[in-house]
Amino acid sequence: METTTSGFSFDLCARNARLEGKAPAAMKTGTTICGVVYKDGVVLGADTRATGGSEVADKNCAKIHYLAPNIYCCGAGTAADTEKTTELIASQLDLLRLSTSTQSRVVAAVTLLKRMLFKYQGHISAALVLGGVDCKGPHLYQIYPHGSTSKLPYVTMGSGSLAAMSVFETGYRDGMAEAEAVALVKDAIFGGIFNDLGSGSNCDITIIRQGGVPEVRRGYETPNETAPLRAAYARPASLRPPVGATPVLSTLVDVFDAPQPLAL
Amino acid sequence: MASTGAGYDLSPTTFSNDGRIFQVEYATKAVENSGTTIGIRCSDGVVLGVEKLLTSKMLLKSSNRRVATLDAHCGLVLCGLAADGRQIVGRARDECSNYDEVYGDKIPPRVLAARLADYVHYFTIHGALRPFGTASMIAGYDPCTKTHELYAVEPSGVCLRYFGCALGKGRQSAKSEIEKLDLSTLTCKDALREIAKMIHTVHDESKDKPFALEMAWLTKDTGFEFALVPDDLVQEAEAWAKAKLEEDDDDDDDDDDAEMTPAPPTDAASPS
Amino acid sequence: MAVAYSGGVIMGADSRVSTGTYVANRVSDKVTAIHDKIYLCRSGSAADTQAVSDYVRHYLGAHAIECGRPPLVKTAANLCKRICYANKDRLLASVIVAGVDPYEGGSVYVIPLGGTCAKVPFAIGGSGSTYIYGHVDHVYRPDMTKAECVDFVKTAVERAMARDGSSGGIIRLVDISAEGVQRDFVVVN
Repeated sequence: METTTSGFSFDLCARNARLEGKAPAAMKTGTTICGVVYKDGVVLGADTRATGGSEVADKNCAKIHYLAPNIYCCGAGTAADTEKTTELIASQLDLLRLSTSTQSRVVAAVTLLKRMLFKYQGHISAALVLGGVDCKGPHLYQIYPHGSTSKLPYVTMGSGSLAAMSVFETGYRDGMAEAEAVALVKDAIFGGIFNDLGSGSNCDITIIRQGGVPEVRRGYETPNETAPLRAAYARPASLRPPVGATPVLSTLVDVFDAPQPLAL
Repeated sequence: MASTGAGYDLSPTTFSNDGRIFQVEYATKAVENSGTTIGIRCSDGVVLGVEKLLTSKMLLKSSNRRVATLDAHCGLVLCGLAADGRQIVGRARDECSNYDEVYGDKIPPRVLAARLADYVHYFTIHGALRPFGTASMIAGYDPCTKTHELYAVEPSGVCLRYFGCALGKGRQSAKSEIEKLDLSTLTCKDALREIAKMIHTVHDESKDKPFALEMAWLTKDTGFEFALVPDDLVQEAEAWAKAKLEEDDDDDDDDDDAEMTPAPPTDAASPS
Repeated sequence: MAVAYSGGVIMGADSRVSTGTYVANRVSDKVTAIHDKIYLCRSGSAADTQAVSDYVRHYLGAHAIECGRPPLVKTAANLCKRICYANKDRLLASVIVAGVDPYEGGSVYVIPLGGTCAKVPFAIGGSGSTYIYGHVDHVYRPDMTKAECVDFVKTAVERAMARDGSSGGIIRLVDISAEGVQRDFVVVN
């Protein structure tokens, strides 16, 4: 194509005309997170892909955040927002536990989160799946960035939520056993990993049991291991120099002792 | 007063060594030195009356009102320092209008009395403030429970609900008079007369200045709206009261005569 | 929607909460309690209406304790109205406050988007309500029995759900009377 250096360029006119009046929708942040209530507690699951635009920024990030010894929270949306919001509420719950000397209640965590998110009118882009077990039993909530909450037996959030929800709607039953619940969550996350471009890599699981210690299974399933693929690739010999290929010309070793105290 | 209160009476924030707050007691003294105020909860309403002492012959009788309307359904009468009373009335009116604005309903008299009592009490716990030298009697109607109620708020912040209440100079004799009445059947019209009589009784012609009788009520007949009693009814009640008092005086005189002088002989032969 | 009968009120709502074209919660409960015998139906933004009803519940509870008796439905409606009106440019909340108090019986108050408050014999709201105005105006009669009111609400909500894409799920019904509160739900085919 010929490029002109002088005069007007009308290359972008067609594009501008298309965008006029209808700005493109913000890209939905990639994640699949979900949770399910089973007989003895709650199972939370999440994928591990963090995206910056259309590029994968982190192939193995942790999306299941600690809130309290008996409460964990999956976060979708802006990674910084979910991370810092859950840390803030975790610290508030910690102080509350210290002043009341009782276990944190899930509803307390939900209320703290929804009050904060509503106050920021949705500008904090944190969509959360919060699950935990307290003296009143297992609880599972979904929390939207504007501050609305719903209490449900199974929830999914993030760009892969539709794929995950389809798995839940097919497979969910009341009062499942733990193994069954974990398998269901894994399948739901896989639904997101393989069918949603914004989700991928591994599946993390956290199991919160009634009267027990939460079990955090980071990298529960890793269906997208790249190591075998990398190993299968035969690099040319020039890119695999043997040890000692570079000649050593001279050696200088300087040993630093513990610093001497300053004499004033 | 039992003790001089030496040293313990300088501030409302100091207790005396026998557990009294002298400043609050002195404030109550200011109330006790004021014109008598009487409130009666009758079968069909609440009537309030006050002996308003006129400090000068030149004073317009209707000025310096001791009675105040707070809202359509409640009002109060003051006993004690008039200026302090104005503050209390202002606050009470604010409470009424604020409650209506926030809750969309007329303030229940009990809530108003409690809030006013809290307000008055606040001034008894600060070193920089002095207690109010005024007590107020609140008459109110509760449209929800359909009851008419009488409360008295004292300078100490105590608030009690009454069937009959008297404050001020002549409260002792007024209270004993109220106790003689049957309040369960007494109507407001009759209460007007009884209150007029009580106030005229306790008013000492020789010692006190002349007074004007101010009365206000809320009754079933007026739809439980708080209002000043119309002049003609007040005058009629006062006329009745004066006549009754004279009658009682005559009775007393007759009794006295009978005791002091023996009955004159009635036979016709007595010398004229 | 809500309708008053001589002994109380019947309230009903669908259960669909949507974000765009996706149903976020298909079994939500839009009839929220703000006091023992006073409930409100929420429509508009879920976050806004949840926040408003939390505030109203808080103020109403404190007020009832100060007065020492059950609050009036009128008071609950007034509190809602004050919040909705004062923040009218920031909220998208339309509510129907209904309930029973010992002094005025069953009452229904409607508070649409701008923050008006009106006492009405019955009220409908939400996106699906536009499809049933003709129906309710035609069917409603004053002095219906409780059973008639339940049927009135059930049929109306069902018809709205049939025509409005943003309405669906199940029908939540709440019956409030002096005896107490009965909650129920109806699955629609």
